[in-house]
Amino acid sequence: MSPLMPSLPFDLEAARAHLAAARGPVFWRSLEELADNAGFVHWLRQQQPQLAQALSLDRRGFLQFMAASLALAGLSACGHPPQDQIVPYVQAPEGQIDGLPRFFATTLMREGYARGVLVENRMGRPTKIEGNPLHPASLGATDIFAQAAVLQLWDPDRSQTLMNRGVTSTWDAFAAAVVQATERHARDGGARLRILTGAITSPTLSAQLGAVLEKFPGATWHVHEPLGNANAHAGARLALGVPLATRLRLDRAKTILSLDADFLSDPAAGVRYARDYAATRAPESNQGTPSRLYVVESTPSLTGGMADHRLALEAARIERFARLLARELGINLEVSGAEDAQHQRWLNAVLTELKANRGASLIVVGASQPAWVHALGHLLNDALGNVGTTIEYTDPVERNAAQAGTLSELVGAMQAGRVDTLWILDPNPVYDAPASLRFDEGLTHVPHVIHLGLYRDETGMRAEWHLPMAHQLESWSDARAYDGTASIAQPLIAPLYDGRSAAEVLAMVLGQTPQGRVLVRKQWQDQLPDESSWNAALQQGLIPNTSLPPRTAMVSTAFLTQIKPPPPAAAALELLFRADPTIGDGSWANNGWLQELPKPMTQLTWDNAALVSPALAAQHQLNNGDVIELRLAERVVQAPVWIMPGQAARSVTLHLGYGRRQAGRIGDGRGVDAYRLRTPANPWVESGLQIRRTGARAELASTQHHFNLEGRDLLRVGTWEEYRSNPHFATATDPYPGTPPSLYANRPPGEYAWGMSIDLNACIGCKACTIACQSENNIPVVGKDQVQRGREMHWIRVDRYYEGDAANPRAYSQPVPCMMCEHAPCEVVCPVEATVHDAEGLNLQVYNRCVGTRFCSNNCPYKVRRFNFLQYADDTTDTLKAQRNPEVSVRRRGVMEKCTYCIQRIQTAHIEADKQDRRIRDGEVLTACQAACPTQAIRFGDLSDAGSAVAQAKASKRDYVMLGELNTRPRTSYLARLRNPNPLLGEDPT
Amino acid sequence: MSEQTYQSISDAICHITLHRRFGPYWRAALLIAAALTLLLACGVVWLLHKGVGIWGLNVPVAWAFAIANYVWWIGIGMGGTFISGALYLARKDWRNSINRYAEAMTVFAVSVSGIFPVLHLGRPWFFYWLFPYPDVMNVWPQWRSSLEWDFFAILAYLTVSILYWYVGMLPDLATLRDRAPTLGKARFYGLLALGWRGAATQWQRFETVSLLLAGLAVPLVFSVHSMVALDFSEAVLPGWHSTLFPPFFVAGALFSGFAMVLVLGIPMRRALGLQQYITARHLENLAKVLLAAGLVVDYSYASEIFTAYYGMDPYEVAVTTHRMLGPHAWIFWGTIFCNVLSIQLLWSARLRRNHAVLFAVALLVLIGMWLERFMLIVTTLYQDFTPSSWGMFYPTFWDLAFLAGSLGLFFLLFLLFVRLLPVVSMFELRKLVPRASGEPP
Repeated sequence: MSPLMPSLPFDLEAARAHLAAARGPVFWRSLEELADNAGFVHWLRQQQPQLAQALSLDRRGFLQFMAASLALAGLSACGHPPQDQIVPYVQAPEGQIDGLPRFFATTLMREGYARGVLVENRMGRPTKIEGNPLHPASLGATDIFAQAAVLQLWDPDRSQTLMNRGVTSTWDAFAAAVVQATERHARDGGARLRILTGAITSPTLSAQLGAVLEKFPGATWHVHEPLGNANAHAGARLALGVPLATRLRLDRAKTILSLDADFLSDPAAGVRYARDYAATRAPESNQGTPSRLYVVESTPSLTGGMADHRLALEAARIERFARLLARELGINLEVSGAEDAQHQRWLNAVLTELKANRGASLIVVGASQPAWVHALGHLLNDALGNVGTTIEYTDPVERNAAQAGTLSELVGAMQAGRVDTLWILDPNPVYDAPASLRFDEGLTHVPHVIHLGLYRDETGMRAEWHLPMAHQLESWSDARAYDGTASIAQPLIAPLYDGRSAAEVLAMVLGQTPQGRVLVRKQWQDQLPDESSWNAALQQGLIPNTSLPPRTAMVSTAFLTQIKPPPPAAAALELLFRADPTIGDGSWANNGWLQELPKPMTQLTWDNAALVSPALAAQHQLNNGDVIELRLAERVVQAPVWIMPGQAARSVTLHLGYGRRQAGRIGDGRGVDAYRLRTPANPWVESGLQIRRTGARAELASTQHHFNLEGRDLLRVGTWEEYRSNPHFATATDPYPGTPPSLYANRPPGEYAWGMSIDLNACIGCKACTIACQSENNIPVVGKDQVQRGREMHWIRVDRYYEGDAANPRAYSQPVPCMMCEHAPCEVVCPVEATVHDAEGLNLQVYNRCVGTRFCSNNCPYKVRRFNFLQYADDTTDTLKAQRNPEVSVRRRGVMEKCTYCIQRIQTAHIEADKQDRRIRDGEVLTACQAACPTQAIRFGDLSDAGSAVAQAKASKRDYVMLGELNTRPRTSYLARLRNPNPLLGEDPT
Repeated sequence: MSEQTYQSISDAICHITLHRRFGPYWRAALLIAAALTLLLACGVVWLLHKGVGIWGLNVPVAWAFAIANYVWWIGIGMGGTFISGALYLARKDWRNSINRYAEAMTVFAVSVSGIFPVLHLGRPWFFYWLFPYPDVMNVWPQWRSSLEWDFFAILAYLTVSILYWYVGMLPDLATLRDRAPTLGKARFYGLLALGWRGAATQWQRFETVSLLLAGLAVPLVFSVHSMVALDFSEAVLPGWHSTLFPPFFVAGALFSGFAMVLVLGIPMRRALGLQQYITARHLENLAKVLLAAGLVVDYSYASEIFTAYYGMDPYEVAVTTHRMLGPHAWIFWGTIFCNVLSIQLLWSARLRRNHAVLFAVALLVLIGMWLERFMLIVTTLYQDFTPSSWGMFYPTFWDLAFLAGSLGLFFLLFLLFVRLLPVVSMFELRKLVPRASGEPP
């Protein structure tokens, strides 16, 4: 009883009377209340008026009151379903089942190209992205950018409001400004109106843009795509007369020659190409001869890492190599310089094979090569009979950029004062235009700049109007894939911050209602006339029969006369510009997952660096982290050095995308801005580079410091010849063949025996698995300083090893998740049973029980355990919480964590199977890494089912386990990599 | 010792505790030790606030300074127990004048060492989960883990050390009580003396208890250091996975323990004028044991290196080679200098009897043993099976702060011990008097 309460005599008689008078059960809270003492009620009313009121509330009133409160609370809850109808895929299309995720097919764009995805939606929150098996650019897999898109959606640094000259504004105010602007442009036919966009494949956006340009005939559309492949377009125009799109059919190729083309990381089709390429190399399913990949490149790439023979040449010498090749194939081209015997041998071997495989060979030319080399590629492919088999031409997928002005023309117009209003729909030219253009200076001559962007970035800060753009997962849109297949992007959530899409903003200019769904629906009215076809297109994630058919093209030789004679061989250094492997052109700079994802070839995180060859480093006495000055004419930046095995001797690579100034809290001020050295004329390579040591040092955060296997057989490689003569070559050298005996008894077999097989022959090292795992399992981002301390948290890492001469080594990659040892060393040493084995063979980590001795990590021979040394999980940022997978615990500091084989997915399948009283089917459980893998290198399933895909993979003669001699009996095993060297060149990698 | 009587011994020792003015050196030392202890306290608060990430730990090096400190301190503790227990059982009476401070050293060293395994946990507040208490989840500790056994070994060792030290002090505390100049001191020592009156029955029980505790303490010394060794041996890691470790760790503990007894004893006997009691003979005996223990340790080094190369296990060979030639090679060679080369001076009787040299050698041994612990832990972890995961360890400020702070805490406790409690066992020294002076016992 409260001390404040007066001592009231308890009236027993009154209480008895009160109870006797009542009907039904009477509930009382205190004896005083029971006695219905007037003094008590009076006291209560005085002391606690709200309680006294509650006293008088009857059950009905109370329930009404509670219902109203709950309804009000519900109104204010986060996330509301989009008002437009969207159609679920795969699971429970009839309706939401609480707690179960629903999957929606939609489209993500990268450099304008569509990649079909399925988005996991949990109670209205998009949480995870998977590939769409029906979509030609995905086939069920994704790349790292698709995985990271969901974090971008929830990024707290995204632009949240309209800004008008730095002051918060509204769409209504902007609509008024648009009216004024259209009036201005109506007067002169839009002569002073410019629209700047990225590459457009979206039919809806293209139509909207077309309508605007029709309404204002004087207006000009400009395209700025910092990673655009202008050389390839120009090359196609040179050779084919029209800028046709090129589509590789790697599945049909026997001999592939890449001239600096990293087709496995192609933004539009890399995922598909990787699958096609891997299929030609699978020894179990492909009994014929495997394909052979020759790569000539300046800076190591994923494609170069997969090459059977790789030649490291500077970009200028690749051009020369192309001339030699053309000459050998009967095209008369001038070639300067002395012959290099080794290169000649290489060239001869390639030529022999290209000719032998007429119609099944393929020459691919990369973006760094000038247009005429691209044209030459078309010519040679045509001469080798490859057109129509391994290479196909289609009508352009992008909105015809030939009709568009370039960025340079736009800057010229701006500086001449000929631009009144500039609409910048998504690009960020203030940051990523070549600095020599001086775009930001030109911007000062434009009275009205309207910027639509996901972030209020460098350009947004300079704009009169900044408009928040709706994320791809928030808006209606459509796009075409690399092969032309159109698909619709449907929103998975209502815009978090009142953003609009580019098509909606253009609708405002046209005076239409800015409703994305209406615009997209109208665009596809002809192809999808009724609701059922529309719904089917949404469900499947693509519009049927929109793939562009291959078309014939006449390859002209006219351009050969225009090829300039080769420049004299210069000893100068060249600087290569490349898209950053993890943050692309810089638009992903504020994405923690991508920043912390080790870049496949260097294992660097959070920074870019000037990649130099070991020879150049020796010449200038450079070590990793030494800051050098890079000078191209009057343009100078300083960048730390990273010594890159396999880099062409005289090439220095600097990745684009870093040095952001207005990216957000994650991306600001990291790394070096390569755009400051770029020119519009030579966007990919520029010679005449001068470097100078500054004496300064910079700290770089790499997740791997040792790239030499030290003669250990952790990663096993053989050639196809070896494999054919001894299919068991991978286990031939095992020190203790078979399973060594153990003092511990074998565990009784459980209902299932989960296991994993990783095919090193298929793995290209793209790291989609790492980031898919991060997305699925709520793995925190720890930051650069923690990575430097060796505390990254990735549950599946991709190790990179080099073999042979550092000037041009063979590169191997090896994904390493938890091995799920049957005799796990970690389990024996835990004093509190926080890591235990389950009946199905999973090595479990019980976070709640973990006290954090870290002995398990020490004792793990594979070092796959990760420890929360500090509080890494961000438990303060609300939007990041919304991204998390509710089926996976968020780990707090002081506990160990590691790969679980996605146990939450196994359990989901268990529940489903139990409900239907059946066993879990093979393929029903896909781990996150497995689902994302472009080449299907990872297989997972039940080992006790001999017919399962994983059991069959493990039955392969290439199957081996890592460190089997320790008798850990891993459930994760590897399939040895097979190289296919040309016998003419032998083991020589170059 | 010949001119000593019961009276003179009690007078001299009691004078130190009850009447002696502790001068500026003691105060300065106390101040420094207190400051370092404060640093440790700040470190603990910061650690509990932020997590063990304030240290330089990482994957693969998930253990480093804290575990090295722990093993080092607990090894130091061994010296005291060995002197008081094993030599007591062996009736080596010369130990009587040094056992008190050596035991105190043990208690303080083991207490300091005990801080580290707890704070080293990711979630220190759950350390009691190692204890097999009946919780509602019916979760038991994992008995195959050496960490579990280590937990019990430390607890048992700490308990017995404290008991042995305290029980052994009772007669002397009573003497101090009886001679206390002020009522306050009399009450202080009276409370500590637990009513000791010197009755024959009390003496009889006292002797029995002492014998029992000594009998308990000596096996515990071996068990605790063997358990510490198994914390490493149990692992599959090259460089740890070795059956040699338990005896090797016992020898190492003895080695560092005796070194610490010398490092404390040599300045203390000078500062407090205890030369009559802690004589040159004592120091020489200690020096001989130090040399003997050191040679066993050196043999272990040689045997470890030999086994690695003879066994030709590529991982063992690699770890051993990295230890000697890798980036942490200076630690290996530092260890060799301190633990192998420096002690060879003690073969010479002249150098052994030079207390400055002896002090320097003992100090080097202490440094060497810390380096050895660090080497054992870090150079095994930083480059193990998978080269892709090889890392480095770089200590942070807090790593160093905890090492310095643990030294501060140890010396703070020891300085207070010197000031407040009898540093030499009076009653045990008195036992030596009759035999020396020919009086009846």
